[in-house]
Amino acid sequence: MLSAERFSLPGPEYLAQRHVLTYMEDAVSQLLENREDISQYGIARFFTEYFNSVRQGTHILFREFSFVQATPHNRASFLRTFWRCFRTVGKNGDLLTAKDYHCLLQLLCPDFPMELTQKAARIVLMDDAMDCLMSFSDFLFAFQIQFYYSEFLESVAAIYQDLLAGKNPNTVIVPTSSSGQHRSRQASSECSPLDGVEASLFFQCLETLLDRSKYSCPPPALVKEVLSSVQRLTFYGFLMALAKHHGINRALGALPDKGDLLLDPPMDQELEKLVAQVSGLSISTPASSSGEPANLPSRNSPRINSPWKPLHHRRKVDTESDISTEETDSSEN
Amino acid sequence: MAAAACEKRRPAPTPAAGPARAGAGAEAPGRALEGASEFLRQAGVTTMVREALLKLLEARPEEPVAFLADYFEKLVLSSPEAADGGGDPRGQPQRLARALWYVRLAHHSHRTAFNNNVSMAYECLGASGRRKKPGVNGRIYSELLRRICQDSEAPQEVTSPLLQRIQCRDHEAVPFDVFRYGVLTCFVLLEFVAKADTLYDVLDDGSGIADKRVCQAVLGTLEEALGASDFSVPIRYLEAGSKLGPDCLALAMDRALLERKLSTSMKREEFLKKAAVLFIAKVKPVD
Repeated sequence: MLSAERFSLPGPEYLAQRHVLTYMEDAVSQLLENREDISQYGIARFFTEYFNSVRQGTHILFREFSFVQATPHNRASFLRTFWRCFRTVGKNGDLLTAKDYHCLLQLLCPDFPMELTQKAARIVLMDDAMDCLMSFSDFLFAFQIQFYYSEFLESVAAIYQDLLAGKNPNTVIVPTSSSGQHRSRQASSECSPLDGVEASLFFQCLETLLDRSKYSCPPPALVKEVLSSVQRLTFYGFLMALAKHHGINRALGALPDKGDLLLDPPMDQELEKLVAQVSGLSISTPASSSGEPANLPSRNSPRINSPWKPLHHRRKVDTESDISTEETDSSEN
Repeated sequence: MAAAACEKRRPAPTPAAGPARAGAGAEAPGRALEGASEFLRQAGVTTMVREALLKLLEARPEEPVAFLADYFEKLVLSSPEAADGGGDPRGQPQRLARALWYVRLAHHSHRTAFNNNVSMAYECLGASGRRKKPGVNGRIYSELLRRICQDSEAPQEVTSPLLQRIQCRDHEAVPFDVFRYGVLTCFVLLEFVAKADTLYDVLDDGSGIADKRVCQAVLGTLEEALGASDFSVPIRYLEAGSKLGPDCLALAMDRALLERKLSTSMKREEFLKKAAVLFIAKVKPVD
């Protein structure tokens, strides 16, 4: 269906739909930033590396937030990278606060906005007690929904608020005492006498949004499924249900099922090998025993052993040293 | 000096990068921008990007990023030799791989794109290094066709009769129109076989074995549709199409089912082979 459609689209629309120009422009601007190195290295080779890294999803590492969130593929790649880098957190069963998770996110994307992390935490914590501890998987799945469907969720929030305020002409809000699904939680920060909105009405409003939205949306059938299983629900109840839905996770395709989240035999083997090596060397560095020395850009040894593509890696190290020289320069002044 | 270099190479990650860059530009308005586009032109980036996008638009692949990665990779593989001024002949396997890649870039129904790519493949196979006389001989042409068929899912016994029909002798020079004809015919046959394969899926109803009579009825109808017609007259296409319409075909199948005797069956390979034979009979031999 989609595959046939792409042949009938006008060229520019095809390119826009697939975000080709986003990547092409990014590639060219990276090329310009490093033109001396790259002209020696070979321009075609640079493009090959660039598009291969886009294909593999490693292109978002250490990039600016505006780029990380620029396309659905970038978002999915970021989610996947976040999961792969920090799953040991989940494995160790550590519980972290929103702030801690935000620090982890910033290791991958230095200017990642706190606001997004907080929104994700609100889904897990149902909008209260923001300094609570969360498990890795709870946070990850909530974060996935919040990050990947950001624009969609904003529209949903607006619709929800309208419904709560009774702005929808069809709305007949009858306060009920028994049907609330998430009675223990408050719907939104401003106190509402009602326990959420009626699910079927909510879905009617979302249906048009799902149809029209030019941003990524969860599959309509699955949204319907979520909403038809309850009578009333709150905004955060809805988000939580989306976050926990296996089908939505699968459709998004960035993360494995919840049960497999912490499984990765090859990585484990690698880790064991490294740990064995390190202990064999009898140098005890805290970084290597606690994290994933090969993969995790830990705070103590930033990005030195990371296995990412040599070109990009080199560039990132360059840029980093550039930044630091600038910093020292300015401090000297 | 060093600071200027830093400024130029300052990465985008910091949120201030945008304004900072604009600020640097303000010092020498337009100069930086001009320098950049000059660099892109001189280094050949502009042309390279434009050609890549054109190829992409021709082919409209489902996965454009993967397509571009492969595209540039091929460029890398071919560029060192190109830079040498073509002094060193590229190895034949490499040229063959490149030609294969070209002919697969676009589906043959996008005729313009497909023709372009085929002519690129032809040039690529013909440019055999130091010999000034370019050209494609029968050996490499046949090899290309064989590889096209080999990489598909169609069984060899289905495709080899076609290859025999459109092959050239090893030392013959292959003109472009023959080359194009051969490549195109291969692709069409492969698609035909794939369609026949799904047709068999329908006939066997998931059981893996289809009734021989029904198969023969289908093949018979197909033959009738293809057989009588002379395809230089456009109306024959409509006729053939109508003969294969659901009513005609269903009728034939129904009749076959009625008169079927106890289950003899036809295997998938046999069905495909027979279907392919019908097709191949219509292929004009190359000689």
